[in-house]
Amino acid sequence: MNDQTVTIKVPPIAAHLAVLRTAVGGIAARDRFTLDQVDDLRMAVEEAATQLLRHSGGSPIVMDVTPTDSGLEVRLSADVPGDVRIIDESSFSWMILRALADDLSVESLQTRTTVVLGKKRLAMARDAE
Amino acid sequence: MTAQYTREDTKSLFARLQATGDQSYREALARLHLPLVEYLAKRFKDRGEPLDDLIQVGSVGLLKAIDRFDLDRGVEFSTYATPTIVGELKRYFRDKGWAIRVPRRLQELSLRLNKIIAQLTQDLGRSPTIEEIAKMAGVTQDEVLEALESGQAYSTTSLDAPAGDDEDAPMRMDRIGEEDLRLDNLEYFASLAPLIEQLPEREKMILGLRFFRGKTQSQIAEEVGISQMHVSRLLARILDFLRQGMEGTAEY
Repeated sequence: MNDQTVTIKVPPIAAHLAVLRTAVGGIAARDRFTLDQVDDLRMAVEEAATQLLRHSGGSPIVMDVTPTDSGLEVRLSADVPGDVRIIDESSFSWMILRALADDLSVESLQTRTTVVLGKKRLAMARDAE
Repeated sequence: MTAQYTREDTKSLFARLQATGDQSYREALARLHLPLVEYLAKRFKDRGEPLDDLIQVGSVGLLKAIDRFDLDRGVEFSTYATPTIVGELKRYFRDKGWAIRVPRRLQELSLRLNKIIAQLTQDLGRSPTIEEIAKMAGVTQDEVLEALESGQAYSTTSLDAPAGDDEDAPMRMDRIGEEDLRLDNLEYFASLAPLIEQLPEREKMILGLRFFRGKTQSQIAEEVGISQMHVSRLLARILDFLRQGMEGTAEY
């Protein structure tokens, strides 16, 4: 995270996940991502947030979107009580997220679980004039 | 059991209902005029809602009409009931539309963007950026985003309509048939298999192409012969279906 990070916190209500999805789409679109990539990110955020929502014991879901040299890093986190791995590496969710994001990891720090998604900007040098 | 009545009995049934309050007369009247509801419901069937649902909604209008009808006014019941039933159907679309209705301006932009995206994808040899789409369409990036987002919302009913997007060409089965889709990977996810079975062939195909073969939305659009936006909507819907399915509440 840096001073360019956009942070959004929503209550753990399914209807609010659309806010996260829309926001990440808007940020990516303004950062020279292609339509395919914007859609991938939106879908990935929805999937990760859905899994967090399912396991968060009523705690808000926080999304941090940070531009990096190569693209965007999206961190979605929530308090997940108990010793639950919200996205098992053998799960369908993991497979979906891996297809949609270029980088994927899940971090756990005490009760805080964070899904980290990385999406690389398309190299567009050949389009530069 | 109730006796068999014909439409000619409408007046006498109303007279008896109003005299006795016996609900079996109300039921008989409702049954008698169900064909009217069916006829009126059919006029709304091209709007993406199942006819059965429409008939149910129309029946509510019919019952209201029966309860409010006054024999002494001297009009035919069918004349009186028609606007009530139609009103109920219209209200249904209006209420439902509140959540999903997309302004015409956005629908039109959305359709125009479809063509622009296809054109740019071909010219650039890759998926275009939002900036490139906005420039070619002569609108702002915000408007493009708004239209894309509304495309998602609109899909909640439009995809239920069997006709689908009429500008989208039918799937090119001949090409797809030869592809090894490796959907067998899905057997690994035992809980998903029965859900995936419920998906139409095209949706299964799109799911496989995106998540097992790692194709981009643009590549899938090209391969299946539909627009990128349509692929995007279908994928979002498929994932939503699978998520709900794993919670046991899905219906595709």
